[in-house]
Amino acid sequence: MSESKKYTYYPGCSSQASATHLDRSLRAIAPKLGIELEEIDDWNCCGASVGHVEGGALPQTALSGRNLAKARQKGKSDVLTACAACYLNTHGVNEKIKNDVRTRQRVNEALDAAELNYDGDLNVRHACEVLVNDVGIDKIKAKVTKPLTGLKVAGYVGCQTVRPFAATAGGGNYDTYDQPEFLDDFVKACGADAVDYDPKTSCCGGSVSVYSPDKTLHLIKKIVEAAVSAGADVIATPCPLCQQNVEMYQDAINKKFRTNFNIPVVFYSQLMAVAFGMDASKDAALDQNMIKPLKLVELAKKDGTEPTG
Amino acid sequence: MNATAAAAAPAGNRIYDLNFARWVYRNIDGGDRIPLCMQCGMCSGSCPIGTAMDHGPRKLFMMIRAGMKEAVLTSDTIWNCTQCYNCVVRCPRQIPVTGILQSLATVAVKEGYAPKQPTARFSKAFWFSVTRFGRTDERLVTAFYYFSYGLVEGIRRGLENLPIALRMLKSRRMHLGAPHRVKGTADLRAILAKAEEIEARDAGQEGRS
Repeated sequence: MSESKKYTYYPGCSSQASATHLDRSLRAIAPKLGIELEEIDDWNCCGASVGHVEGGALPQTALSGRNLAKARQKGKSDVLTACAACYLNTHGVNEKIKNDVRTRQRVNEALDAAELNYDGDLNVRHACEVLVNDVGIDKIKAKVTKPLTGLKVAGYVGCQTVRPFAATAGGGNYDTYDQPEFLDDFVKACGADAVDYDPKTSCCGGSVSVYSPDKTLHLIKKIVEAAVSAGADVIATPCPLCQQNVEMYQDAINKKFRTNFNIPVVFYSQLMAVAFGMDASKDAALDQNMIKPLKLVELAKKDGTEPTG
Repeated sequence: MNATAAAAAPAGNRIYDLNFARWVYRNIDGGDRIPLCMQCGMCSGSCPIGTAMDHGPRKLFMMIRAGMKEAVLTSDTIWNCTQCYNCVVRCPRQIPVTGILQSLATVAVKEGYAPKQPTARFSKAFWFSVTRFGRTDERLVTAFYYFSYGLVEGIRRGLENLPIALRMLKSRRMHLGAPHRVKGTADLRAILAKAEEIEARDAGQEGRS
């Protein structure tokens, strides 16, 4: 095993609820890729995309402030999160604390109520960006023992994973806002086929889909429809809310638009766990997808090969 | 008419306030860039849900400039934003559209322009979970939100979404039992209370000139 790098891990609320399968599979593949995850002690919610409405701007900012102050107590390792909303909020607040004196002062004044402080000297990074820049596609490829041969995957990135922070904390871009390629690269590294998929960064409606799906079902329909007509067996995504919306509303879409969709939606980390020859349930958490990714389960049962790296 | 109204009543009112634009520029994060908007419409054209909005961001920004306070703060444009940030990354004038809509939503709720709005209700439920437990409990937030419409509507919405809830339970993505919570709820609440206090203090200082 080559050397590993330590990251301070912020799992976020969905890791204990709707996206436990992301958290489980990510924790499973991390050691194989030399990623050591140390969880932030007693982390709290980031405020997601609605907290500010009731809570106000500074309280919303202070939520991430507390997480960052607690992360800093773990040392100077980069903060890693796999959730799009957690990344957006935590990274956004971190940049503001780093670059804007007034925000830094005000957040610290609030944090002082719990004897915490944070001056903005951490980097906050998305798990996918770490996979691209620190681990590298070649290393992912080298860990594959069960290539997902024949599996057709529609790589659905969603919005917030690459927007507005395609520019990373470490400097440089990990991908573009409109045509990101990292997810297809992951899919291909796992030995699967990345189908030609146009609505890569189309919006699933985000939290609006959670409380007013009547307004957004047509957006999700577009995402599902394009995957099905491209011949995909499965949709893969990095975002917890995308995964949930695109999976759980297929019945409602079928009812409203008289369609017949039933396509599984998995996380990239679940694909990797299977491709790395790990356990389909314990590691890849395939038992936690509402729509069972049957082809992926079948592939997981096959015999593996030796890893090349 | 507007010019006379302005001359007669420069202090503005709930519906129309010439100082509203200036207030937005000064007090809303990123609002100082609104005067740079050249009305190109890239934001509204890029919006995934733009067709469901009454005005869209481009028009809303012009309405802000015109001081149409009530029309802006009751507009469904600020509520239908899905926060995909498409407009933000495409705006040729680097206006943080999404953040501005978010901040306007907060103002609309605080000043009583949006009492029955779904997003406002949902946010209330969400913030309850965050301040009470430090974490989002998806079960509680959803239940609180449904029942904010009253008992009958709450039950109706609950039943409508029961199949999804059952599938979530079955796939162990929803748990039975107490909510997950942070240990330091007292700490967290102290921080949030202080943040609220600072915000109120600073808003008072800057005033509504």
